[in-house]
Amino acid sequence: MLALDRVSKTYPNGVEALARFSAEIRQGEIIAIIGGSGCGKSTLLRAIAGLDRASSGTVTLDHEAIASPHAKIGIIFQEPRLLPWLSVADNIGFGLADLPATERRAKVARALERVGLADKAQAWPRELSGGQAQRVAIARALVPQPEVLLLDEPFSALDAFTRRDLQDHLLDLWADTRPTLILVTHDVDEAVVLADRVLVMRPRPGRLFDQIEINLGRPRERNSPLFETFKRSVLTSLDRSLDRNVPDRDATQGPGQAMWW
Amino acid sequence: MGPGLRRDDSGRGGDSSVAFHNQTRFLPAMISDAPVLQQTSEPAESTAAPSRLSRYARPVLGLLLPVTLALGWELVVWSGWSSGRLVPPPSRVFATITGLGRSGELVRHIAATLWRVSLGFAVGVVAGTLLGAISGYWSLARRLLDPTVQALRAIPSLAWVPLFILWLGIFETSKIALIAVGVFFPVYLGVMGAILSVDRKIVEVGRTFRLSGPAMIRRILLPAVLPAYVVSLRVGLGLGWMFVVAAELIGASEGLGYLLLDGQQLGKPAQILAAIVIFAILGKLTDWLIEVAAAPFLRWQDAFFRAKGA
Repeated sequence: MLALDRVSKTYPNGVEALARFSAEIRQGEIIAIIGGSGCGKSTLLRAIAGLDRASSGTVTLDHEAIASPHAKIGIIFQEPRLLPWLSVADNIGFGLADLPATERRAKVARALERVGLADKAQAWPRELSGGQAQRVAIARALVPQPEVLLLDEPFSALDAFTRRDLQDHLLDLWADTRPTLILVTHDVDEAVVLADRVLVMRPRPGRLFDQIEINLGRPRERNSPLFETFKRSVLTSLDRSLDRNVPDRDATQGPGQAMWW
Repeated sequence: MGPGLRRDDSGRGGDSSVAFHNQTRFLPAMISDAPVLQQTSEPAESTAAPSRLSRYARPVLGLLLPVTLALGWELVVWSGWSSGRLVPPPSRVFATITGLGRSGELVRHIAATLWRVSLGFAVGVVAGTLLGAISGYWSLARRLLDPTVQALRAIPSLAWVPLFILWLGIFETSKIALIAVGVFFPVYLGVMGAILSVDRKIVEVGRTFRLSGPAMIRRILLPAVLPAYVVSLRVGLGLGWMFVVAAELIGASEGLGYLLLDGQQLGKPAQILAAIVIFAILGKLTDWLIEVAAAPFLRWQDAFFRAKGA
């Protein structure tokens, strides 16, 4: 279980990016974090990744405090961030340097097969399309089998078709080992398609506003009325989060309280 | 996945109607595992044929002017319109080179010059790389060191010559020092600039995979810096060749620069041109050596240019 306990982040310039964010995330749960710009989504994700330290509060994974990048936590960024001097296969195997070569090669080959890029193994990253490159990034993050995978707006730079394809693909890959997924997004559709639970944050300072359980089976039909209903409830919550007249709710009441329709 | 992409390759022949036909045929296979849009985004290279033609035509066009001038001058001298005493025709320059070669003098001069350039280049590269790396990696060192280096860089390097001769004597050491100074600055700047401009986002990837300091340098920083480093080496080598001429003009009893000076003082323009030609050949050759040595490590860049330039 990933526990966030009153995580706060104040930058040296005095900006309070994140204020007392608390949440408990079960192993294997898929969480989408959504909110207006400047609401501290990415700050939160970087704190969980151990890339930036929280000013106060703690992030613990199975009771182990996270203060620096951890082997059980992988991250995928908005850009693929592939190393341009490594082939696709070597990029995927980047995090497996400690393994013996044969084992590494086998894992990389399996991952390549799994993301459908087996024929691109020896290609350079610059020869890939945006969607292909992001698949490689996903494979690179998943191949060390993290318990938690963080995704920072991973599909926002892609066109709508590719994005949809990769969302489905991500769920497909997730089913293999069922890591915890924490996805920062500004796309309501994406949140509802992927998440078990949507956390809505509100800005200045970034804090938790609401959480919405998405009680929908998978695979989810993007056009179903129920899907629309969940989408609307997330949108409503998002709108309220941006309305300064709406007071903070106590989001720690527990999940499900937002299903008020 | 396979068929969908092979479709792309088949389109590369240039016949776009064939490509389109294959595309539609393989569509069902693609939908299952690949986004359609990214598959179709690569245009068929129907313009490949004309660009390949110009690829061979361009160097020939470039050679046209010098070759015509050389042959024309040769003709002018041969027909007796000019004596060619101050501007010797190519045949006479060539004869001078073979003459020097036969007497063994040429080898001695080339060896002397090459030795000076190699040593000066080595010293300059080592110093430039070390200081550049320190300045690039460690911001405190950069604040301490860089202003001084930049100030020294502003001095025209030939201004050092009298001082070097006083300090290091008129023989080899002062010459090598001068060459090393010339090589040092571009290498220093190249290394420092390259390290400073390493993409922080890529460094962060290294951090998320918990690379140790040495592993970060070996697996992220070195490969990231290499392209700019090779460029700075080539610039440095070019300056090294420039400064070896200066050093040898100032006072030497052998070397290609000495051939230049000797040719001037004894009124042998063919010898001067011969030395210049050999400088050009050696300069190009050593530059090519760096390029070839670095090529295996920079293949990923070629892929980039091939993709963009095609």
